[in-house]
Amino acid sequence: MRDLWDRREFAWYLAMGNLKARNASTALGLLWWVLNPMLLGGVYWLVFGVIFDRGELEEGVSFLAYLLSGMFPFFFTQSSMTAGVNSIVSNTKLLANLRFPRLVLPLSALMESLVGFLTSILVFYLIAGPISGVWPSHTIIWLLPLLVIHVVFNFGLSTVVARVAVPFRDLNNLVPYLTRLWLYLSPIIYPASFIVDSTNEWVRRSAGLNPLVSILGLYRYALVGEAFAIDLASAFLNATLWATGVALLGVVWFIRYEGKMARYL
Amino acid sequence: MSADAIVAEEVTVRFRPLIDRKPTLRRSLGRFRHREVEEIVALDRVDLQIRKGEAYGIIGRNGAGKSTLLRVMAYTLKPDGGAIRVHGRTSTLLQLGVGFNSQLSGRRNVYLGGLAAGLRKKEIDERFGEIVDYAELWHAIDRPVRTYSSGMFARLAFSVGMAMEPDILLLDEVLAVGDESFREKSMKAMKDLLQRAGTIVFVSHVLPNVAEFCDRAMWLDQGRVRLTGKADVVVDRYKETVRRERLQR
Repeated sequence: MRDLWDRREFAWYLAMGNLKARNASTALGLLWWVLNPMLLGGVYWLVFGVIFDRGELEEGVSFLAYLLSGMFPFFFTQSSMTAGVNSIVSNTKLLANLRFPRLVLPLSALMESLVGFLTSILVFYLIAGPISGVWPSHTIIWLLPLLVIHVVFNFGLSTVVARVAVPFRDLNNLVPYLTRLWLYLSPIIYPASFIVDSTNEWVRRSAGLNPLVSILGLYRYALVGEAFAIDLASAFLNATLWATGVALLGVVWFIRYEGKMARYL
Repeated sequence: MSADAIVAEEVTVRFRPLIDRKPTLRRSLGRFRHREVEEIVALDRVDLQIRKGEAYGIIGRNGAGKSTLLRVMAYTLKPDGGAIRVHGRTSTLLQLGVGFNSQLSGRRNVYLGGLAAGLRKKEIDERFGEIVDYAELWHAIDRPVRTYSSGMFARLAFSVGMAMEPDILLLDEVLAVGDESFREKSMKAMKDLLQRAGTIVFVSHVLPNVAEFCDRAMWLDQGRVRLTGKADVVVDRYKETVRRERLQR
């Protein structure tokens, strides 16, 4: 762990390098950081806000704000997983040549996603502000502890998929479907009541097992405000337990496997 | 402090690559239960002792285990059996430009490569001028590395590798790049390293280089040590054997 801390600069440069390189040969360059979440939000807004025509969720609660305040945090988790699953298998050259704590690689992948997510929070207000009149309120103070928990949770997920993808590359093909399924099983494009009131017993049960229910609920409260009131204590407790559990499992499992990784590459 | 830089005792490495036979549905499903593997012994009980201040060459045919041995010394591959001890700060130039991102500028890559190799950002800040001087790349340092010629790329990568001021340098066939003047420069850098009691391990197929530059050498054959001793002697015996085998066929 101390080795990992010593290598934080490496992780950061690797992440920033990848971010920069991705847009190095595009005409708009770094503007894509803002454009990506904007276009993404726009597409989902078009489909579920305009075509399915849900202007307001309830009296005075904008669907746009609801959609995006859940969508952007979800995409943070999703991109942590997609970046994590590749973090080891696509860096074989580094692994074959240099000695460093392998956790640097999923960590760097996480940093990359985090930067994108932080930008998308700004984009959220850029869209939801003018259109739905949603601006940061006093509830935004909860964003910081929430971010910490979410980052820990995503790090855990990203180490798990990175670890599994080394002997089982098939995971690479599976992750997009898994995350899509997760997207539809989470209250993002439909209100949470859909799940709670579902006639299907399994759907109702899945909500209790889905850590994103608490995490997204907290984001909505922090970003939008009292309109999305939530039982803070129990949601934070739930999210913290999940994050700690997944991160511990992921990191321990990953480190115990570290020595064997070189064999599969 | 011991006088040894690297000591290996009975180092053994086995690989179990998947066999790529014509895929059938039954075989694909069968892979879940028992994957078809064939064990390859890449290194077979290799003993080795390299002293400080020594240039040590490793020669042998393709697939003899030379690069695997270097990877064991770099600690990136844990041996299945035996033990390896390395005393000192190691810089590996097994492949050039490890950690580089060709989309990014030379400047950025100096940092990436240096951080990957284990330098701190501050150390790179201090040595940045030296590195670029040495690579003679001031004119191109802000250009993306993908626009570099292979010689320029090699110069930058080698300079970054030497910037670590290693005690031990692991080299895999990388001297063969760069133009004549850069090759002389890199030779000089390596001799300086030897002078301050550094150690160089050198894998190459360019036999005259090994004979001339190295003090001692090892000849690996199918993962086993065939011969160790003075570099020129080992190289001669190796050459002789290869010639004889070619004639026999």
